[in-house]
Amino acid sequence: MAVNDITIGQYLAAPTLLHRVDPRLKLGAVVAATVLVFIYSGWPLLAFAAMLVTLLAVCGLPLLRVAKALRSVWVIVFVTFLLQIFLTPGEVLWHWGFLSITDTGLANGLLLSGRVVILVVLLSALTMTTPPLKLADGLESLMRPLAYLKVPIARVTTIFSITLMFIPSILDQSSKLVRAQMARGADFESANLLRRVKDVLPVLVPLFVKVFHDADELAVAMDARAYGGGRGRTRLYPMKIHAAEALLTLTFVLASVAIVFIP
Amino acid sequence: MVVDTTTNELDIEIEGLTYTYEGAGSPALKDISLRFERGKMTCLLGRNGSGKSTLARCLNGLLLPGEGRVLSCGLETSDRSNALEVSRRVAMVFQNPDTQMVGETVEEEVAFGPENLGLPTSEIRERVDYALEQAGITELAARQPLRLSQGQKQLVAIAGAIAMKPDFLVSDEATSMLDYSARLRVVELFERLRRGGMGIIHVTHFLEEATLADSVVVLDDGLVVASGTPRDTLGDPGKVRALGLDPLAVTIVAYELEKHGFSVPEDVLTVKELLAWLYA
Amino acid sequence: MALRLKLEDISYSYPLPGSGEAAALSGVSMAVEPGEVLCLAGANGSGKSTLAQVCTGLLLPEAGSLYYGEEKIHGRGPLRDFRRKAGLLFQNPEDQLFADTVARDIAFGPRNHGLKGDELEKRVRESAALVGLPLEELGGRSPFSLSGGEQRRAALAGVLALDPEVLVLDEPFIGLDYEGRRSLEEALTRYRDERGATIIIVTHELSHVWSLATVFGLISEGRLLRFETRAELLSGDADLSSLGMQLPQWGALARELLRSGLSIDDPADPRALAGAMARHKGAHDGG
Repeated sequence: MAVNDITIGQYLAAPTLLHRVDPRLKLGAVVAATVLVFIYSGWPLLAFAAMLVTLLAVCGLPLLRVAKALRSVWVIVFVTFLLQIFLTPGEVLWHWGFLSITDTGLANGLLLSGRVVILVVLLSALTMTTPPLKLADGLESLMRPLAYLKVPIARVTTIFSITLMFIPSILDQSSKLVRAQMARGADFESANLLRRVKDVLPVLVPLFVKVFHDADELAVAMDARAYGGGRGRTRLYPMKIHAAEALLTLTFVLASVAIVFIP
Repeated sequence: MVVDTTTNELDIEIEGLTYTYEGAGSPALKDISLRFERGKMTCLLGRNGSGKSTLARCLNGLLLPGEGRVLSCGLETSDRSNALEVSRRVAMVFQNPDTQMVGETVEEEVAFGPENLGLPTSEIRERVDYALEQAGITELAARQPLRLSQGQKQLVAIAGAIAMKPDFLVSDEATSMLDYSARLRVVELFERLRRGGMGIIHVTHFLEEATLADSVVVLDDGLVVASGTPRDTLGDPGKVRALGLDPLAVTIVAYELEKHGFSVPEDVLTVKELLAWLYA
Repeated sequence: MALRLKLEDISYSYPLPGSGEAAALSGVSMAVEPGEVLCLAGANGSGKSTLAQVCTGLLLPEAGSLYYGEEKIHGRGPLRDFRRKAGLLFQNPEDQLFADTVARDIAFGPRNHGLKGDELEKRVRESAALVGLPLEELGGRSPFSLSGGEQRRAALAGVLALDPEVLVLDEPFIGLDYEGRRSLEEALTRYRDERGATIIIVTHELSHVWSLATVFGLISEGRLLRFETRAELLSGDADLSSLGMQLPQWGALARELLRSGLSIDDPADPRALAGAMARHKGAHDGG
């Protein structure tokens, strides 16, 4: 069942270099990269993609897992691509009835889907190498200036980290539900796509019921251990940014910015 | 953040506690008055819906009294300003091992509580090591909590509670989802902690666990219907069944033996004790 | 009326929950006669749930053969047909309930099997009655608004509505109190008596099934170590604690008495146990 292959948001406990980098640096780099990705045009985008993949490979990230993450969003990418090539005005390259593919459409389609792909890779790399609580710590630390604007950062980061923690649980739960329905005669293996969709949809409701129930229990357990939303929390292993990782991150960001200027 | 770490000799006192869940027709707890002492283990028993879990959650301020008061180590749980201190003194572990884990590694999991208390890193380190040792799981420190067995997860959860250096530990059916050998380890840990001076309040389905307690409290429909030593409360199978509990096999056999004209002392609750009587 | 279910040298690899490591059922062979209540007992991770799913045709074994009656279950088609004759109740009702009303949830299974109209309604009503669920009161409500005990009954009704010949339940008694267990036991006994079904209960808690089960299969690390009746279990020397289990007080007492030479006609009957003890005590007290 394809559901089990979704790896976005799943932390991977392998000892890659990126695991040891301070979450704040990783978050900062991802944010910067995201902004840049939307600024890049064709060639810079490719150059950035190449740099990113090389960096991840060098740091020891299993690229196969990342590729798996892409597999689960191919639908979004494909739909984006289709919308672009068919709906953008420009010089027509090919048409069939009232559907026509334009040159600008094709270019835009590739660009936009390329961007989505890269964003997915960035996000996967981030979540694969940063456990949810650390991510929340990093977020909280970076957002601290926002506290002056009365933004409830503690609450935001708590919701964020609990959501991330629950992604594997959601997957687990959905596969259980699927099996239970199969045992009652539901047909998830039928070639009839419509039948499959019809049988899968009802699974969504109990899925969320269970997940909310579990999230509630987790919140209670955290409460019982004096969790106050991150304010005033100290750490067993305090976050500390070392010169080496700061340098690495800075280099990455600067290189990404430089890429903008590739003609 | 200033946290009071002096030991407090006070117990948990409950006076006239009534609690009604939102939207419920009748109270889950009705005018309950009880006291729990440190250094003693109390088992809370009762059928599903009797209120035992509700009572457990009132002890550490998770639920606030509708009427009456709960004084945990001298602090009113209904006073929100006491919330942090109460959750430090009265720690809690829950039934489902999976929905209690937040940490990346076992030691970070155990550190979660002390981190929330704002303790300095060196003290967190000490507490984590101490708690892991008490629970007998030092070798699991670097493991991922969600990859452990259910029993090991519960031990981690209890270690997390120990790291708070509480005066009381409340177990809300912490053994219900475990197999026999895991249950044994958990109850043995409770015993160890009790001997070290902690007060243990253990909500359970398993009457055999209750035979090891210092005192037993049975709830039914929100009321305390029996309390006393295990011998006093669990010896009569008819009474136990009327409370919606599964009587201990040994007590049923003892009851049958009475029909044959033998009088088995009422404090015989285990197989060992019954056999000892038989071969005496 | 159920047929004989036979497993021959079944192998299947499954991921251990939580750790993601692979473990395997290997060389499992057993035969369950119609109308038996088999308790598949083992610690968490021993493979008992996986074995239970093989018994319902939910999983196709990687090696070995499954026979139902005289027929060997071979290939996707026959497996699907066999699956229709089997029913599996999962441990958590939340893993199974999903429809917008209780009645519709119970109807899900039989509807998938092609029942409709009056027949479907009748089946739903009968199943609800079997488990003691008041359909007039709860039928139109959302399954998630029910209490834990009611949810369990609704989930069981949903499985019984399939009219399974082989009924498998995965840890059905966990979290139930004494009365909850009694009423579930009664429902299962009723179903077995009315339908001649074979029942397989997967659990690590022997005390829950002690009086219900007719035969016990002990599983550890993917292997079926023992397959015996209660009497054989008591007179044998199976080391349960190494398997993470423990005989219920009944069993422990009966075992000790049998070992010391007392004769007991029915070790599951407290009166028989008391009788045997009384005789011994009487003889030895000289009174």
